[in-house]
Formats: sequence, structure tokens, C-alpha cells
Amino acid sequence: MGNLIKAEIRKTLSTKSWWGLMIPAAVFAFLFALGWGAITNDLNDFLGSSDAEELAGLLGVQLGELPVGLLSLAHGINIGTMFPVIFGVFALAGEYSKKTITTTFLTAPNRMSALSAKMFTYIGWGVAYGILIVAFASLATVLTVDGPGLPTASQWLGVLGAGILATTLATLFGIGVGAVWNSVTGATITLTIWMLVVENVLVFVSFGWFGITWLGGVLPNGTLNGIVGAIGAEAFGAAGLSVPGELDEDLQWLLQYTAGAPGAFSWWAAALIFLAWTMLFFIGGWAANQRRDIT
Amino acid sequence: MHDGSGRIAVQNLTKQFGAVTAVQNLSFTVEPGSVTGFLGPNGAGKTTTLRMLLGLVTPTAGAATINGRPHHQLGNPARVVGAVLENEGFHPKRTARNHLRVYAAAIGVPDQRVDEMLGLVGLSPAADRKAGGFSLGMRQRLALATALLGDPQVLVLDEPSNGLDPEGIAWLRSFLRSFAQQGRTVLVSSHLLSEVEQTIDQVVIVSAGMTRYYGPLDQLRASQRSRVLVQPADANGLVTALQEAGLNQVEPTQDGRVAVSGATVQQIGDIAAKAGIAVYGMQEEKADLEQLFFQLTSPQYGAGATAYPQQQPYQQQQGWNAPPPGYQQPGQPPQQPYQQTPPPGFQQQPGQQPGQQQGWGGQQ
Repeated sequence: MGNLIKAEIRKTLSTKSWWGLMIPAAVFAFLFALGWGAITNDLNDFLGSSDAEELAGLLGVQLGELPVGLLSLAHGINIGTMFPVIFGVFALAGEYSKKTITTTFLTAPNRMSALSAKMFTYIGWGVAYGILIVAFASLATVLTVDGPGLPTASQWLGVLGAGILATTLATLFGIGVGAVWNSVTGATITLTIWMLVVENVLVFVSFGWFGITWLGGVLPNGTLNGIVGAIGAEAFGAAGLSVPGELDEDLQWLLQYTAGAPGAFSWWAAALIFLAWTMLFFIGGWAANQRRDIT
Repeated sequence: MHDGSGRIAVQNLTKQFGAVTAVQNLSFTVEPGSVTGFLGPNGAGKTTTLRMLLGLVTPTAGAATINGRPHHQLGNPARVVGAVLENEGFHPKRTARNHLRVYAAAIGVPDQRVDEMLGLVGLSPAADRKAGGFSLGMRQRLALATALLGDPQVLVLDEPSNGLDPEGIAWLRSFLRSFAQQGRTVLVSSHLLSEVEQTIDQVVIVSAGMTRYYGPLDQLRASQRSRVLVQPADANGLVTALQEAGLNQVEPTQDGRVAVSGATVQQIGDIAAKAGIAVYGMQEEKADLEQLFFQLTSPQYGAGATAYPQQQPYQQQQGWNAPPPGYQQPGQPPQQPYQQTPPPGFQQQPGQQPGQQQGWGGQQ
């Protein structure tokens, strides 16, 4: 297994796709966190609306002390997480499209060990993406959010941990989708459109027309975003066990949406549900690969 | 674990892709110490068979083993079998050296083996060039270097001469011979007998997914007998005279000539002169291997199927198979068993047109 993992690492490092995707991941995480940081910092300074006052009162904090930095972190990390998904798609589907899968299978004891080596190697890549993305989102947050709005050290560590968990699962999710549908182009385009457009429309429409607040808490993109986003939502009292009974359900959803996790139950529930999505595709892809004819 | 014998065994192998039967009940064995040619026209099921042997395609029925084991039970398979396959992929942006370093790591051989293999196949000057810019011939060399990384006991090559220049083909021939002389096993497929005729000792001929012949090439060669077509003034008289002289493989043909096997032109001329029969012409016919190959494989193509109904698919219990009985049956019109041109259907098969040949690429 060590040999195969070494081969997988060499495989990735000898082409450009790893930094070709890491650079935009860092740039997008930085820019989104920068934008959201600027907006929510203003909010923190100047918002005097009754909603915000009400919320602050419920939580027993001063409005100026809400950790709005969590919002910019979450949005930066959420957009950055798209890239490890695509990176994961390349892991196996890329080998099919370049036909290197033949040699990969010929030099591995069996297909299961080849896929296991890929999985272990890409867990490492997922962690690397997580550290990078959290770092750039944090940098943008520090640049835009004033001191009182920054999260506490423990919240920040929580975001780092959740961010790494999210990018790691995102990478494995990408491998799984690519294993089921062994087309890089097809899987990448479909996933991008689904995660950026389709699912958001579904969540919006179901909330706006049918009053369904939980849909984002179960779909893949919503749960992936919820791993980090729910930390912010929980700090604002809009998710998790701390939801105050008096908080209006619509306001709660809007706060979750602002935190980048509409419908999220809690960070760990989001992680578990997204893990289930990952396992679904990973096991499906695993089974498909055991039987697939390489012609 | 595998038995280390170096033997390839294919038993009753069948593969269906949906409604298409690519390989049908195929059986043969390949012994170490020899180069075995795996011959058949394009579409005969060669590539599918090799891919089943290598665990890349799952058989519908039957088994293909190396050293007594299916590919996925070989342990570290690249140490046992190396493969050069058509359509093999290289990441276009990865250099030749990096490509080999990836798989050297997977197999667990030291990195110095990479440079040794690059040198062996003559790619050292191109080691740091990206494989995407390689000519077909260079890709074949890189594929061979990859196959040899694990110093395997068995080498399987699918149409390896494609894209190689004549020098490269000559090099490959001598390499495969010396590889086999070390007691290792080589199975090399081709759709052209002439391309591998000088390299191989044993031959497996398949067509339409079935084995048509397998055995030593020499035996196939020995089975071809020349015959002489005589145009006499009196055909019946000549037949009688020849039979009286002890030649019994004598048949009149439909165009009034007499076909004689097992005798030289001189013998026939002497006998005819003694019998006082005028001879207007004699033509010696010698079927070469290529023609035999056409006949063995032509049933795949419509016209051939009706011309050679007597050919039976190979059956395992017969052991080393003799050429189909029809071939040796005397008395048939000359254009059938000893034809000068391939059956009409043969020339229409894909890949035979010069334009579709991959050309003699060589190095760029």
C-alpha cells in the first residue's frame, strides 16, 4: 500500500492540476471572505434595525460584539471547497480520460488496493486544501472585520477543524462522483452547476414557496457548506442546540443563509449527512470500478 | 500465490459485450522459453483476449491465467507480467521519466530502474520531454519501458510494431527473442503474419473470436505442400501414367489440367515423355504462410465463409491442431486452396488499407 500511495503522490505532483486548482481555491476563498467581511463588518457597525437588536437581546450580547468574522470565513471556505471537489473528480475520472487507468490497474495488486491508495492519498490532499483555504479566508477576514467582530481563538480553531473536515470529505466526494461517472468534463460541469446554481435555486424556491427550511440541511452542497457555516449560525443562535425558542423561524433561516448554511441543523449533523453523500458515491464508484471493463 | 511457471493458459474464454460476442470459447496455452504469435484479423478478439488475461476485462465465461492464477491474484502483478497494449495512455503533460517514476514507485523497484529502461528502449534523450509530444513509435517504446520496469517473467504485447520504424522493428524482434531465450514467456499479437513470422516459434491463430490453429509455426509451415499444375494434351492419359509411376496424389482439375503433389517438375516431365504425352506447360504452386493465414482467418468475412465451409473451429481435445482438412483436399479448383489472391472479403477488412496503417513513425 505504501508503494501505491507513493505512486499516487508522484502522479499528482508530476502534473499541474494540483496547483492549477489550489491557486483558484485560495483566490476565491480570499475574495469571497473579503467581500463578506466588508459587508458584515458594516452591518456590525451601523445596523440598528430591530431584528439585529432583537437578536442581540435574545443572545444577551452587545450587537457590536457578534462574531461576524465567522460569516466571512464560512463564505470564503464554502466557495473554496468547490476546488477540492473538482480535484477529487480528476483523481479517478482523470485516469480514465487519459487512459492511464490501464497501467495503474496493471501495476497494482488489485483494483481495490489501487482505489484504497487513492483514497488515503487524497485524504492528505484534502487536508492540504483545507489548511490553505482556511488560511486565505482568515487572512481576508482579518483584513476586513474589526476586532470586536472577529471570532474567538476557540471558534477559529473550530473553523480550521471544520474547514479541513469539509475539504477532505469534498475531495472524497469528488473521487466518488468521478468513479461513478468516469468523465472529467461531465462530472465537473454537472457538479459545478449543481452546487453553485441548481441546489441554491431548489433551497430558495422550497423556502420561498413552500416554507421548507430544512432542504439545505440534507442536500450535498448544503451539508458541505453547513460543516463550517453552521458554526457561524450556531454562534448567532440560529442553529444547533442553542436555538432560542423565541427566534422566528424565517429569521432563523435568513441568519443561517447569511452564515452560508441555510437549513443546517448543526455542524456535526451537516458533516454526518455529507459523509453519507460521500459514502453513497464512493461505494457506488467502488462497486462500478470493480466490474468495469477497461477497453 | 502463483506457481512461477511462466505459463499462460486460456481456457474456454468467452466475452460478450451486450449482443456482440467478441471472444467465443477460446483455448490455448503459451509456454515459457518461446515467442508465441497471437494472430488474427482486426476484430478477431485478440485485444479483448489479452485484456482478459491482464484482468482489465472480466470474462463472461472461462478463465485466463498467468502462472496458474488470474491477474488479480498475482500479488505484485507487474513483477510477473508486463504488458504493451494498444491505446495505452500516458498523461500528455507528464514527462517520460516521471511516467516511469510513478509506476516504478507502484511496483516497488528503485528509481534507477527508470533510467535503465529509458536507455534500453532508446528514449534517454527524450526522458524529460512530455509524452503528449511523442510520436507513435516513441509511445510504443515508452510502453515497453513501462512493461519491463518490474523485470517480469511474462511479456504480453498487443500489435507492438505499430508506429515503429524498420530499425525499431528489427530491434524489437531481437529483443523479444533474447527475452524468450532467458526462459521467459512472450505473447505478441499482430494482424499481419509477415510482421511477426521471423520472431515467433509458436502461433495461435484466431478469427471471429475462435481459435483456428495453435501449435508450432514450423508445423504449420511443413503442412504446406507444393504442387505442380500440368497442362497435358491428354489429361486422363497423364493421370494413368503418373499413377502407374507410383504417384497417387494426382487429380485432374476442372480446367483440364492435372494437379500433382509430391513430385517435382522434372519427375513429371520424365514420366510424361515416357508415356508419350505432350506437355504444354507446367506451373509450380507453393502456398506461403500468409496465404494459409488468409484461409484460416477468412471465414470471418462473408465471402470466405461460404468458400471454406469445411473449416471447423479449434477443439481442445484434438491437441495440436492440424490445418483444416479442406486445405489439403486435392481436386479442388486451384483458386480455392492454392489461391494467389486473398479471398475477396479479406481486403475489405478494416486496417488493411495502407492509409490506415500507422506508418513507420520512428522518432520525431
